[in-house]
Amino acid sequence: METLDERQVVSVEAAGRSRPGPGVRRMAAAASAVALMALAGCSEQGARLGLPVAASAEAPNMGNLWIGTWIAAFIVGGLVWGLIGWSVIRYRRREGDHPVPRQTKYHLPLELLYTLVPFLIIGVLFFYTVKAQDALVGQEGEPDLTIDVIGQKWSWTFNYMEEDNPEIGTNAYEVGTLQEIPDLYLPVDKKVRFNLNAADVIHSFWVPSFYFKMDVIPGHPNSFDVTPNRIGTYDGKCAELCGTYHSLMLFKVHIVSEEDYNAKVLELAASGNAGSVPLPDSFVNTLPTPKAEEDQK
Amino acid sequence: MTTQTARVATQEEVRTVSADTALGTKVMKYLTTTDHKVIGNMYFVTTMIFFMFGGVLALFIRAELANPGIQFLNYETYNQFFTMHGTIMLLMFATPLFAGFANALIPLQIGAPDVAFPRMNAFSYWLYLFGSLMACAGFVMPGGAASFGWFAYAPLSDAINSPGFGSNLWVFGLYILGLSTILGGVNFTTTIITMRAPGMTMFRMPIFTWNILATSIMVLITFPVLGAGLLVLGADRVLGAHIFDATHAGAVLWQHLFWFFGHPEVYVIAIPFFGIITEVISVFSRKPVFGYYGLVFATLAITALSMSVWAHHMFATGAVNLPFFSFMSFMIAIPTGVKFFNWIGTLWRGSISLTSSMLFAIGFLVTFLFGGLTGVILASPALDFHVTDSYFVVAHFHYVVFGTVVFAMFAGFYMWWPKFTGKMLNETWGKVHFWMLFFGFHITFLVQHWLGVEGMQRRIADYGVWEGFTFLNQVSTFGSFLLGLSMLPFLWNVWITRKTPDVGVNDPWGWGRSLEWATSCPPPRHNFASLPRIRSMHPAFDLAHPDLAEEDEAEFAELFDESDDSAELVEGGVK
Repeated sequence: METLDERQVVSVEAAGRSRPGPGVRRMAAAASAVALMALAGCSEQGARLGLPVAASAEAPNMGNLWIGTWIAAFIVGGLVWGLIGWSVIRYRRREGDHPVPRQTKYHLPLELLYTLVPFLIIGVLFFYTVKAQDALVGQEGEPDLTIDVIGQKWSWTFNYMEEDNPEIGTNAYEVGTLQEIPDLYLPVDKKVRFNLNAADVIHSFWVPSFYFKMDVIPGHPNSFDVTPNRIGTYDGKCAELCGTYHSLMLFKVHIVSEEDYNAKVLELAASGNAGSVPLPDSFVNTLPTPKAEEDQK
Repeated sequence: MTTQTARVATQEEVRTVSADTALGTKVMKYLTTTDHKVIGNMYFVTTMIFFMFGGVLALFIRAELANPGIQFLNYETYNQFFTMHGTIMLLMFATPLFAGFANALIPLQIGAPDVAFPRMNAFSYWLYLFGSLMACAGFVMPGGAASFGWFAYAPLSDAINSPGFGSNLWVFGLYILGLSTILGGVNFTTTIITMRAPGMTMFRMPIFTWNILATSIMVLITFPVLGAGLLVLGADRVLGAHIFDATHAGAVLWQHLFWFFGHPEVYVIAIPFFGIITEVISVFSRKPVFGYYGLVFATLAITALSMSVWAHHMFATGAVNLPFFSFMSFMIAIPTGVKFFNWIGTLWRGSISLTSSMLFAIGFLVTFLFGGLTGVILASPALDFHVTDSYFVVAHFHYVVFGTVVFAMFAGFYMWWPKFTGKMLNETWGKVHFWMLFFGFHITFLVQHWLGVEGMQRRIADYGVWEGFTFLNQVSTFGSFLLGLSMLPFLWNVWITRKTPDVGVNDPWGWGRSLEWATSCPPPRHNFASLPRIRSMHPAFDLAHPDLAEEDEAEFAELFDESDDSAELVEGGVK
């Protein structure tokens, strides 16, 4: 627990080092305060402000921004809630008050102040947002392995594209069903490229512990890289409404050592799942047209 | 011509007095009326019925989610219920409620006898009613109502993935609803531009009227896009067109069209209600609106920005420019912040009466602020990737939309009830209503932020025992039933006050400012027996408190000649 919280603070401070500024230092200090509060007794998840445990090298980009933004939000929110509460309590009408309060209509300097200051706040936020999002969606360099994902109603197909991997030498796939949700095996500390494609409607590939999701859209292939870095089993799910059994479109992510991963893929290939499942084009041009219906008759 | 109209009006009045109780007369009155006040009341009653229907659907959803597993609904019914809950609340409750308040108040606030196009106004109402009934009729069709979510993403909404006549009814019912809203927008824009009483310059209009103008402009720009999109979707479904086929990027095309409408739609149902809040806070603080010009420009800025942020609903699609839409979305925070500070400025050093109406307005400020803060978080793509399509978003938009529409609606109802009906609502029941609604709302939705961040995706009928979502879902379900029950004190309040004597004065609160407080409760057929002199932003206040009356000319002199100590001059003028 301690190590995790410390890591968080360290990484926030590291972000600060790359471009030092008072805002960052304040954010880091406040993040330390939250971490200390967490050490004092709150749960680990409380210290992450609700986020599940992070399981990828990229996740802290989002995790740190999440905490920093919330601190900024609570400072602004606290100020405004305070002003609302103060005015309601302090200026509540009491007996004996003058019937008419002062009829103030404007205060130009004050109005300019609260129009211009927020620009600074969103400017800072925007700067860190762009940095974090570039780290999350950027795809620099070649990945260590590639997995082609196909979303179909209402489960997932995982194609392990390992033909060129000397230690495996074959592709392998797993197709999940409603009755049996699929397992996705990933080697720890290896950069994985997910190529996302859909066979019917829009789905969304979400592993909450990666702090990231990407839509799986038919006719619009998507791709992202992630480096799982914490051995364990995590939930994965479809996050975009995809029809009746949307809530059952789940999978399990197993982050394992490289040896275990190789063994699993080989086992999968040996059990008759060698090769890969291409994107079925059955969804192409199947909408009923009046002509097609006539032909059927 | 004029005399004829006058004679008809007199006869109508005579008839309503003598035979008000006859059922046929009543039916004919509502079927044929073009009186904006009657149409406004028809909108209020209809929207409240849809509000309660949508609320009951929500209670089914919450009951189902109270425990893992499937208890009350099957998967498909569950999908139909949340689809229709969203559709009803946004398009059959909140949007027409804007038309209801605009109808009831705009002509009164600008000193007009009616709206610019009274017959088209009635036509809009009937389009709204029949369009809504059409979309809801899906429930009694074989296969049930639409179940593809209220944003009807293609290709889930095509004829292959969602067959069934209920879905067709949804598409075409919404088209008719959209048409009704467009006609309303035409009507309100024209009324505000052309029918202001002598002396009512644009910059003397109440903030509520300004906000209706801004809203109507947004409606005129964005609802045609929805209408076109729906017709194309209908063509795909019924005629076999292939516009939204996934094979040629139709899936992303629909999302662009839908959200180009869908995001401004959120402001369409927010901005009129900001207007209500502004009026309520001003009346019950006994102060003029603080920073009137700032508020007007903030509203216009939101109107302009609303067209440039739609793709923040699509950050996870990998198909949009992230920094542009992120920055534009952050920008919305600035005019919204200006509004907040102006509301606080109006409260500041006021003389605040905590009536039921004012409680709802303060409840709005407290609630909407949190929705705004989570909105800034969602505008950051890096954070949005994780929380989009999760319960965090569900919680966020309920804070924003419920916080605005429902809190402000009740604030408006409690304040303007005498203007609409002549009766005063009971304050004690009003406060019971407020506290039940306030706690019910926050218990329901606050915990949903946490659920979403933990990993609970939205629109699921079921979740696993192992996921640890059960307890917070049960808290949320408890809150939702408290929230549902909070309608009972309101309905009871309406019932027990229905036969109380009329308030008998123009302004029962004593500190009303805008023109509607300068006519009787309820106003006569063409609104004003005589119009007061309009020489400032608050003609009714000037009329009722001539000793405090100020004129714009003096204000301008202060603003431009002595801007350094203008505040003191204003003080001096009063004390």
